[in-house]
Amino acid sequence: MTEKSVARLEYSTPQQPLTVRRFFMGILSVPEVGVLIPLIAFTGIFAAINPTLLTPDSLSPMLKAVSFIGIIAVGEAMLLVAGELDLGVGSVAGLCGMVAGTLMAFHHWPLPLALLASVATGALVGVVNGVVTTFVGVPAFITTLGMLWIATGVNYLLCHGIPISKDLSPALLKFGDREPLGVSWAFCIFVIIAAVGELVMRFTIFGRRVYATGGNAEVARMAGIDTRLVKLTCFVITGMLAALAGILTTAQYAVAQPETGKGWELFVIAGVVIGGISLFGGSGSVLGAFLGLLLMQVIQSGLTMSGFDQNWQNVALGAILIAAVAFDVLRRRIRRL
Amino acid sequence: MQHALEMHDITKEFPGVKALRGVTLQVRRGDVHALMGENGAGKSTLMKILDGVYPSGTYAGQIIIDGKPVAFHSPHDARLRGIGYVPQEINVVESLTVAENIYVGQTATNAGFLVSQRTLAERARLLLHECNIGLDPRRSIASLAASQRQLVMIARALSTRPSVLILDESTSSLTLEETDNLFRVVRHLKGRGVTCLFITHKMAELFELADRVTVLRDGAVVSHFDRGAFQEGDVVAAMVGRRIENFYPRRESAIGTDEVLRVQGLTIPHPHLVSRNVVENLSFTLRRGEILGIAGLVGSGRTETVNALYGRNAYRGDVQVEGVPVRIRNPRDAKRLGLGLLTEERKKEGLLFNFGIRENISINHLSGVSRAGFLSRKKENQNARLYMQRLAIRAPSPTTPVLNLSGGNQQKVVLAKALVASPRVLMLDDPTKGVDVGAKNEIYKLMLDLAAQGIAQIVISSELPELLAMCDRLIVLWRGRKTAEMSKEEATQEKVMLAATGSST
Repeated sequence: MTEKSVARLEYSTPQQPLTVRRFFMGILSVPEVGVLIPLIAFTGIFAAINPTLLTPDSLSPMLKAVSFIGIIAVGEAMLLVAGELDLGVGSVAGLCGMVAGTLMAFHHWPLPLALLASVATGALVGVVNGVVTTFVGVPAFITTLGMLWIATGVNYLLCHGIPISKDLSPALLKFGDREPLGVSWAFCIFVIIAAVGELVMRFTIFGRRVYATGGNAEVARMAGIDTRLVKLTCFVITGMLAALAGILTTAQYAVAQPETGKGWELFVIAGVVIGGISLFGGSGSVLGAFLGLLLMQVIQSGLTMSGFDQNWQNVALGAILIAAVAFDVLRRRIRRL
Repeated sequence: MQHALEMHDITKEFPGVKALRGVTLQVRRGDVHALMGENGAGKSTLMKILDGVYPSGTYAGQIIIDGKPVAFHSPHDARLRGIGYVPQEINVVESLTVAENIYVGQTATNAGFLVSQRTLAERARLLLHECNIGLDPRRSIASLAASQRQLVMIARALSTRPSVLILDESTSSLTLEETDNLFRVVRHLKGRGVTCLFITHKMAELFELADRVTVLRDGAVVSHFDRGAFQEGDVVAAMVGRRIENFYPRRESAIGTDEVLRVQGLTIPHPHLVSRNVVENLSFTLRRGEILGIAGLVGSGRTETVNALYGRNAYRGDVQVEGVPVRIRNPRDAKRLGLGLLTEERKKEGLLFNFGIRENISINHLSGVSRAGFLSRKKENQNARLYMQRLAIRAPSPTTPVLNLSGGNQQKVVLAKALVASPRVLMLDDPTKGVDVGAKNEIYKLMLDLAAQGIAQIVISSELPELLAMCDRLIVLWRGRKTAEMSKEEATQEKVMLAATGSST
């Protein structure tokens, strides 16, 4: 394999007249293109079927809807790059939203303290996930699946299964009501966090360590990287972002509901994987994950607005998920040749 | 004399390159025929054609076996026509036994569908006995060393009773003793009329085993040699297209006088067995710029020794770096103390295959290519270019994926990675494993350069000539104990082998 590819490399570099082909190969080798092209294509197709798709009135709810999952996805993307996984994100988001809600409504904590406690809860969950997974050695799949149930259980214990809508901080609700840029604060925060996440992963030492850890933990360790700490950090970031998503959901819907976050984990993981993050760790980018989430949302909203039966959404989502990974696999094969 | 195998005018193209150009190969029956050439010369491509991996029709030319033209459409076709192939990579199923691995894919069955362990083991026992391979068919693969696994691979190839056996760099992970054992097997097979095609990078093996040699370069046959009609220099010149003067370069620089490393009473407990130690009471010192060789068979504790010094194995004993007693608990400690390690597992432990050359080189020294936690693309590129130039890493750009590099160039990237951390002591575990002749020579030169700069080195190698030529001093391990220590002048192949097999004490 290597022998062959080297031969080709050496011979083909100086004399490649097929510049057009090289151009396309070059584009294809930029990982984010794999999701950008379908994003543009699907947006175009749905806009052609129903031109109102691209009006502010329909874009706004679309982008609002993707924000919560998107914020969590930034953390999940980092975690997957590091070679780990968090299945509990949705239920942790629900729990943290509820923590903020109960502290405000039942215990009359001031808003900043309640928010701090909520984010701290998310961080704590991340620490537990990280310690159990990397230090004890329980696979992340199991650790975080367990955490999914624990968080759900604690959530219902906190509120006794009853949504909290009274006595929530008016400042928080006002914040949730605002529509900057015609969308919501949650979306703006999503964009900012995605941008920061991309910068961190691409341009900082920490980001490089995350990629190295996911690429080959043993090599990373030998380079002096504390891979357990790297993974733990990613778990904590994911937990805190889940908390943030939970708080923003509570703010936007003016209610802390125990059902918040149910099933999010699958959308988060699907979106991130559609965006080109490898489940095996070490590759993909936050930017790709961001585009992947948008693509997922465009397909869901586009189908609804084009008059398809609701259930086609699920069919399409499944198909695009498989197609995305298939594309990724094929792209790697092309690059390897 | 009729040829057991002829390949006529084989031409194989991949998009963008001709991998083989009109290669003609004639192999006499019962010969051990060596195929030499640098990485990328087309040896493996040729063998894959012969093995049916590249099916008939995807290449031009003809294969003739025993005078009859054949067309293989799959490796299975090749098996049926008596071709046995032992690939370069060891490819065994860890959870199965030796017997099951030998017959994987062609299981012995009872009543048509039940796997009979007993029949399988019995068949494997007969086969192993016949081929003179001393392995228990019931042992699980997990308990076998790399070399024993290699023998399982060979037994698997022999299980179809081939008339032509292809060995693709089968000795690259074997020690001298194991190589000898493998050669005994090959000679034994030869005695039974099996023809053997043998790909290797090691000159010594060529002289020991080969009846004929064919040298490939850039996809074409450049020369044939018959046994006794060639010298090492001729073959190397044919392979690289030029004569390499001083394959083992001579050390010109002086060795420093101050001690950089002192190891006393190093004992490394066995990772699983409580009562056993893989290394016992080992002591040695290392001076600035000195190259110390550790000779010994696989399993003698040589790899464990360097791994312990890099914080990857727990140890007892005293280690001093530049006179200061230290405790090395993990690779981070080792790195901080100025120790560097290049492991023998380049693919598994040496490189980050999700990265290009640039990122692989800088991973060991991120602080040097960044400012306040932010990586500087400019510094990283400069750093990568510097090392690519210093180590003559041949690649189109610093961003070339390491996956696309030849073994020799990959090894140089691993070396560059170790060097950016500016080590005082560099430990090299089989640094020329799976590396072609030209690149070997370059690595030797580099070792001397580093020595001249004062970097002390501990070198492990399965190739004794390499150790004898490159090291200023040698220690020999046998079952975890030091059985000999000798200077370059004192050392001979015999002395080292005796000590390595425990016979000198």
